[in-house]
Amino acid sequence: MSVLRTWVFLPVVLGFALPAIAQQGKAVYDKSCALCHAAGVAGAPKFGNASDWSPRIARGAAALYASAMNGTPKGMPARGGNAELKDADVKAAVDYMMAAASAPKPAPAAAKPAPVATEKPAPVEKPAAAAAVTAGAAQVNSFNRLMRPASRQNPPPSEDGIHDPKNEGTSQLQAPRSAYENLPRASAGNRVNWVAALEEKRIAPRWDRADPKAVGLVLDFNIVREVKGSMPDVVYPHKQHTEWLDCSNCHPAIFIPQKGANQISMASILLGEKCGVCHGKVAFPVSECRLCHSKKKDLAGPAAATGARP
Amino acid sequence: MPNRKPGSEALRAAACAAICAALLALPAGAPRAEYGDVVINNHSDKAGMRPVVFPHWFHRIRFSCKACHADLGFQFRAGGNDINMVKIIDGQFCGACHNGEIAWAIENCNLCHSAPPGTPTQVHESTLQRMNK
Repeated sequence: MSVLRTWVFLPVVLGFALPAIAQQGKAVYDKSCALCHAAGVAGAPKFGNASDWSPRIARGAAALYASAMNGTPKGMPARGGNAELKDADVKAAVDYMMAAASAPKPAPAAAKPAPVATEKPAPVEKPAAAAAVTAGAAQVNSFNRLMRPASRQNPPPSEDGIHDPKNEGTSQLQAPRSAYENLPRASAGNRVNWVAALEEKRIAPRWDRADPKAVGLVLDFNIVREVKGSMPDVVYPHKQHTEWLDCSNCHPAIFIPQKGANQISMASILLGEKCGVCHGKVAFPVSECRLCHSKKKDLAGPAAATGARP
Repeated sequence: MPNRKPGSEALRAAACAAICAALLALPAGAPRAEYGDVVINNHSDKAGMRPVVFPHWFHRIRFSCKACHADLGFQFRAGGNDINMVKIIDGQFCGACHNGEIAWAIENCNLCHSAPPGTPTQVHESTLQRMNK
């Protein structure tokens, strides 16, 4: 139990013990790195564990920065899986972890009052046990495509499992990562925010296959659908849809163009109908609830209305 | 940390481990192709060809959805379009672009016919595909 306690509290304790280390590094570590590095999950060098870190530090800070930014085949996701981190953030977090790993020797003497010192004796390394436990649990959770580490996202065709590596053409196909380099990232689907990519003109998909100059008719018109339950109401933006699609793609076969005429439920969407014709197949997946359910309900209104009934 | 119940710490540690485990995700062997990659195997296996992989991501960088799904009549359903090579050579479906003018022509068989033999028709990572498993 004391070992478990240590895993959970070690980062906090060391955080106090290392006041000189940049706040920025700690903040980034807490947010994006601690999940794995606090406990040493799947062979991740454990925070503050000198024997985990010293061989890595020996290879130089530059190598560690590179691993942290680009990810490693062993499972370290690029930028800790948080694509939004800037280079400086990643480096600060690496610096923070390196300092924590090399500090423990002087730290107990130099540092901080009683609570820290009493917590200190426990930090013994048993990352192996942790890794074993979580490796087993990883299988249980293997269905969860949303939790895939960044290093396993967007693999080249020869490694993606649906292209035959023995097929000669496979190696000639473009690797998605090379196409996504300059595109805004997202947390699901292709991990690309396609709508933003279009808005920021990072991509210029042709409206007409043969005419590069053709432009479509963009309709800027939001529809708000009030939904049952506590979820925020759905705002449907015609604008972002008509930038990609023709009216005839949706109307009238999928959606009758008339207010109140369409029965839409999450069940039907999950089954690939209505919004699910695209969302959950190619447009952003249904895991991104709040991209559609984005309008907070006016709680005062309904509460007052239902207040009459007990 | 005085007066802390051991049980709560075990719970906390378990929760921590669970979150970490969740982050480890898919086993290495499972397909991890791009979201929206379509495999079409209406006729390929029977004809002794590898099934076709259509990469949505690649095409949507270059063409709006409308260019194929409105202008060319592609239905929004994997395997829902009766495509064959005769039609493609005739300029229908893929052949509207893959004719050597807008995109490379059909002699590059194995750029499309690139899935391992026997791969079923599917939209990779689609909600439906996940639910049927």
